Amino acid sequence: MKIYLTINSESRELECSVHESLRQVLRREGLFSVRFGAETGETGADAILLDGRLVSSEIMLAAQADGHAIETVEGLSPGRGLHPIQEAFVAVGAIQSGYSTPAMVLAAKALLDENPSPTEAEVRDALTGILDRETGYLRPVEAILRAAAALRGENVESIEPALVRPLADVDGRADFDADRPSLDLPPAAPRVVPSPEVPDTRVVGKPEVKVDALKLVKGNPAFVDDIELRGMLYAKMLWSPHAHARIVSIDDSKARALPGVRAVLHHENVARVRYASGGQSYPNPLPYDQVSFDNKVRHVGDRVAAVAADSLEIAEAAVQMIAVDYEVLPAVFDENEAMLDGAPVIHDEPDMEGAYDAAHNIVHHIGADVGDVEAGFAEADHVFEQTMRVHQVQQVPIEPHIAIAWLDSDERLIVRTSTQVPFHVRRMLSPLLDLPVRQIRVVKPRIGGGFGAKQEMLIEDIVGHLALVTGRPVRLELTRLEEFVSSRSRHPQTITMKTGVNQDGKLVAQQMRTVANTGPYGTHGLTVQMVSGLRGLSSYNCPNKRFDCDVMYTNIPVPGAYRGYGAPQALFALEAHMDDIAADLGMDVLDFKRMNWTTVGDPLDMAAELGEGAAEMKFIPVVTSSGLEECVAQGQRAVGWHRRTDPDWRQPADRPHIRRGIGFAMCMHGSAISGLDMGGASIKINDDGSFNLLFGATDLGTGADTILAQIAAEVLGTPVEDIVVYAADTDMTPFDVGAYASSTTYVSGMAVKKAAEEVRRQVAERAALMLDVNTPGDISLRDRRAWTPDGRSVSLAEVALHSLHQDQQHQIMATASYVAPDSPPPYAAQFAEVEVDIGTGQVTVESLVMAVDCGVPINPITSAGQVEGGMIQALGYGHCEEMVYDEAGRMVNARLGPYKIYRSDEVPRIEAYLVQTMEKSGPFGAKAIAEIPKDGVAPAIRNAIANATGARIDNIPFTPERVWTALHATK
Amino acid sequence: MQAIVGYHRPESLAAALSLLNRKSPRSVVLAGGTSLNASESSQPIEMIDLQAIGFDQIRSGSAVVEIGAMVRLSDLAAHQAIPELLRELTTREGPNTLRNAATIGGTIATGHPDSELVAGCLVYQGRVTLATAGGATQSVELNELLADRSKLEGSIIIGLEIESGGTAAAERTGRTPSDLSIVAAVGRRTVAGVRLALTGTASTPILVEPDAIADLEPPGDFRGSSAYRRHLAQTLTRRVTEQLGEPS
Repeated sequence: MKIYLTINSESRELECSVHESLRQVLRREGLFSVRFGAETGETGADAILLDGRLVSSEIMLAAQADGHAIETVEGLSPGRGLHPIQEAFVAVGAIQSGYSTPAMVLAAKALLDENPSPTEAEVRDALTGILDRETGYLRPVEAILRAAAALRGENVESIEPALVRPLADVDGRADFDADRPSLDLPPAAPRVVPSPEVPDTRVVGKPEVKVDALKLVKGNPAFVDDIELRGMLYAKMLWSPHAHARIVSIDDSKARALPGVRAVLHHENVARVRYASGGQSYPNPLPYDQVSFDNKVRHVGDRVAAVAADSLEIAEAAVQMIAVDYEVLPAVFDENEAMLDGAPVIHDEPDMEGAYDAAHNIVHHIGADVGDVEAGFAEADHVFEQTMRVHQVQQVPIEPHIAIAWLDSDERLIVRTSTQVPFHVRRMLSPLLDLPVRQIRVVKPRIGGGFGAKQEMLIEDIVGHLALVTGRPVRLELTRLEEFVSSRSRHPQTITMKTGVNQDGKLVAQQMRTVANTGPYGTHGLTVQMVSGLRGLSSYNCPNKRFDCDVMYTNIPVPGAYRGYGAPQALFALEAHMDDIAADLGMDVLDFKRMNWTTVGDPLDMAAELGEGAAEMKFIPVVTSSGLEECVAQGQRAVGWHRRTDPDWRQPADRPHIRRGIGFAMCMHGSAISGLDMGGASIKINDDGSFNLLFGATDLGTGADTILAQIAAEVLGTPVEDIVVYAADTDMTPFDVGAYASSTTYVSGMAVKKAAEEVRRQVAERAALMLDVNTPGDISLRDRRAWTPDGRSVSLAEVALHSLHQDQQHQIMATASYVAPDSPPPYAAQFAEVEVDIGTGQVTVESLVMAVDCGVPINPITSAGQVEGGMIQALGYGHCEEMVYDEAGRMVNARLGPYKIYRSDEVPRIEAYLVQTMEKSGPFGAKAIAEIPKDGVAPAIRNAIANATGARIDNIPFTPERVWTALHATK
Repeated sequence: MQAIVGYHRPESLAAALSLLNRKSPRSVVLAGGTSLNASESSQPIEMIDLQAIGFDQIRSGSAVVEIGAMVRLSDLAAHQAIPELLRELTTREGPNTLRNAATIGGTIATGHPDSELVAGCLVYQGRVTLATAGGATQSVELNELLADRSKLEGSIIIGLEIESGGTAAAERTGRTPSDLSIVAAVGRRTVAGVRLALTGTASTPILVEPDAIADLEPPGDFRGSSAYRRHLAQTLTRRVTEQLGEPS
């Protein structure tokens, strides 16, 4: 049918089908800022303005829009400028991946067109339609308030870090007046607690604008799907409807006969090559328990067949025409039941190898001992034991998995994919596709969040196979439903903590017994659980420790890597357990934890047993920096910790069914996998004295590209704008393991620093030649110039032109790589304030405060953004998110809404403090920050509920019925 | 998405009704589309989009407010004539992207069991105006319509009439503050007495008598078992009743 739309003030007559969504038609017209997030419209990545109102274009038929006016972000700032709303989003740091930023900008425009002076509540309401997994909404809300002020003609001050006075004294005790009101700081100002040990820098440590901000805020084509390839085919998958079944036969004849179908792949026509899908360094940990297509399915949503066709509709129709005869097998979903005799054996195939005990579904058994834990328990004055259950949740990146593969003019396979691990994907594709690595190029453009879900070779083999078979470009994008059941998630675990304590509160022995559920495939099953053991048994000093873990196969959709990577599970158990011990001993919880927690100089003995890289080296690392005491002090003040013992506050007189409480959790993480994770970087000079910075590190939206550019700019004496970043392309950039294990700043950052230092040396040498100086080592770079000690200088542009064109020509260029011998732990203090309705069990989280020691934050805005967004994602883990199944293993809430993620108008007050320490092993003093915000929220809420009500709840999430049931049990 | 094979945008109610009452193909009324376009069906249907038939005004009389079926939820929430509690419940229907497209008629026709707005309309004595196949209009109590959906077959909701007076309150329990409630209780006191409605306890929002709550058998799910929902219904109803106080 024909429709008439006014798109960004231009009248257009368009042809569309009656069933097409408005989003499909707009994208076909080249409006790439309108993005897919969910077929049911809840993410709002697809939001546009229809006659000035923000609506989802996904759940609006194009036909419905006929005759209406549509605005997209492309119309907001034609040409090269920015709209004041866009300027505010950039300045405040409201953009992380940027996938949904265009929709947020439109939401702001619709609001401000109607209401030039909105309240914060009105701004939050305007953003309710756009779910954000990255920022915690703090900065988008501030950006809109700031844009409103700018549009009203008011002066808006630039965002500067707020320097906060340190509070902890030498003994670590907080030195402040508890009753004093908290600091009155603008919400978007990053709170930085400075350390005198940190030297002055010009670019590092500054709130620089993200290097990719422009393309993201304007909605320029930058993501995987934002390209057009002639003759591209659309792939769709046939997924298993059964949790466990053998494929007796597949008849694809009807599907193949459908006009427009170009290929149908399944186990009968694709080579059986075993692999593990986790994106990890060579060699991937065993077992190799997957093949591209198998004759058995092991969870609802497992792969059965793939179709490539001329259109999505044809591909969908063809998938329905594939006739599969299944022999349905008994299934098992619970990790504890999976090891019982008689449980269904999930991997009974003859070519299965590398599992610990496949006949009992035990993929891995992990054991680690320090000292003699049994002797410790025997000697301890008290022994405490408790069992916790942590559940399965999903990463929910707003951009689902998507990959497009094609053959270039040399007939090499190009895979453009939303991945965290382009180099691992290339290496892992090679055997599956029977192509040498040199014939494959993997490119990661901008991606719309990952959180570990994309540390996986998840769909790239499918588009690779289909492109090779058809010779045409092939695109596969998962729907939201598919993203839930056919991608990855967090491992559920049953955890039993047992701790021996002396009367004085000192730990004597600590044991963690974990039974983990990795679904039917190992992928990250070994390493996630190793991190659980490492993180669960490293926070506190204890002479005798044991980690004892079985990782189980079951028939749930597959867990994998998820930001935190085993630590959130372990730290929930540990921090709940430690809180209860303190209470049972009658000790102040901070005193008890402080007496035992690790600090500078303490050995991290479990790291020698369970650290992947360190384990092989068998040395015991020690803590080299810790700002934990300061973190605790800042957090105590910011959350109002003293109120937790005030009966009038805990039980407000005017609300008889409300109880209030405050909880604390200590967090400790790692910075990269020492001895294993490697990052590389290249830098070359251009004619104008700018530099290309090339690296393999993979920015998911975190700001990695920006902080790496800041590091290069700091060394090279330039502003960030002189550093042109290109990253994560296996043909063009040096290797990097990718974005995981909190490694990019610490490892890739050091590679950039080393490369930049070598380039600086070459620049100095050239400048010495030009300035007739004999000692190039005395030349320093700043303000885009190379300076002699006596104040003479040449510009970097002059250096570049001289070296490239004029004399003794030479490309100033260097490559460096780095692998870290250490993994210095960032520390953090997480606080949560809750209200519990004792009549219903409803928990309302009122505020979350996290103070983090990430060493020196290279960029305080992006660092604060990591903490703010991470806390809200972690809040979902503890409070409301859960993957729920029926008895047949079908997920019953595979839709956003039933699977509840927090939206803009309901997030608690959040506040992030960045407590500086000078970590000498890191680039400019930096440690990691990406994952630690995921570690402490669930236990802090749990401990707050216990403070409020006395109920100790050892299962998450804290949904109303669970809490109500626990309150009844407590009575 | 649905298997849509045709799209019509009639410009009158009569035209819409005659399209809807064709023997075939199967036709479905499309209001805002936020629910319909987000649902899956492989059965071929033709969409009858009501956006051009009017019925998008709000008129307030002395004791009643007439709301056109095509009034969008965002306009409902902003309209001064709508009782304050109903406006608040309207914003609880969903995010602004949804409220900007969804209509009151569509919300009633969907009759989602968790809809606090529909529960609110119940306590405000909602009456629904239906246009039926022959073109006649018919006024039906909202609670009767919710109990018997067959009344909607071949008909189009064109309006909702609610009372405007009285004192009203709502209480709810959910996983998070803006989540669809597991159970919500809405109450309104007028000189005639108290009307109470519940969400999350039956296949649609329902009117209840306080004494009957103990006998409810709500369908349970992962957000709340049947017994827990019954407990919530009792607790929240009690709180609402307390807030409404004694008749003045």
